[in-house]
Amino acid sequence: MVETENSKSITLLLNGTISSLKSVIPLEHEFSRPTRVMDKLSLPYGVLIGITGDVKGQLIFSGESAVFGSIGEVMFGMPLEGEMLTSFSGELGNMIAGGLATNIGGHGIQVDITPPTIMEGHTTLSGYKKAIHIDMHYPSDRQLGVYFLLN
Amino acid sequence: MARILVTDDALFMRMQLKDILSKLGHEVVGEAENGLDAVNKVKELQPDVITMDITMPEMDGVQAVREIKKFNSTAKVIMCSAMGQQNMVLDAIQAGASDFIVKPFSADRVQEALEKVLG
Repeated sequence: MVETENSKSITLLLNGTISSLKSVIPLEHEFSRPTRVMDKLSLPYGVLIGITGDVKGQLIFSGESAVFGSIGEVMFGMPLEGEMLTSFSGELGNMIAGGLATNIGGHGIQVDITPPTIMEGHTTLSGYKKAIHIDMHYPSDRQLGVYFLLN
Repeated sequence: MARILVTDDALFMRMQLKDILSKLGHEVVGEAENGLDAVNKVKELQPDVITMDITMPEMDGVQAVREIKKFNSTAKVIMCSAMGQQNMVLDAIQAGASDFIVKPFSADRVQEALEKVLG
């Protein structure tokens, strides 16, 4: 019964995130099937958002910094780099996670999100109980990894 | 033309809002990086309108609205947040916010909110 509830929450989390990604990033896209992550996560650049409330964990968006820059350029019409790219990356994570919280709130799951943490440079993450990964594929071979670390 | 204080912990969002507000013909009189900063800058700058993010370090936006309303009960605050859940919107409105914009937002939505609060 508990496992069923967990599965339902994870499904809502995945669907809510994909729906939010679609509404926030105005690009054609495809996404991979969700896969379970069994090893440490090795990330080139990314943003981490904590999730608290009915579901607890972290949501991570990761890719080359240029991918974040190009998404910013599509969304706001200007190339982003340096401090502005860092700030945009955090805000992108914030908008997607905020959309997720709104989406799953409509299904009776109440969550809050923490301010974004930016991971610049190569980062390795471990110590989580369960992790799920999907890849979002955008035109010009741009790829954004989405990771759910569940506690 | 309104004098506006922009509050958001993200430099990028402050820049985007400043750009939109300037193009709409308003004057951005200051920027605040968190709720506490906003409370102090409202006292100092006395803006016509305040835009307020919710999730910020030091003091969140809903608490900042409550603090601002204690010394300026007629302050006009527009919440600009990625968090659009019903309870968030209700909390903000109960705290005294006049409108609520969900990120990402368009210039048209910002203009609509300003027209509403400025009457």
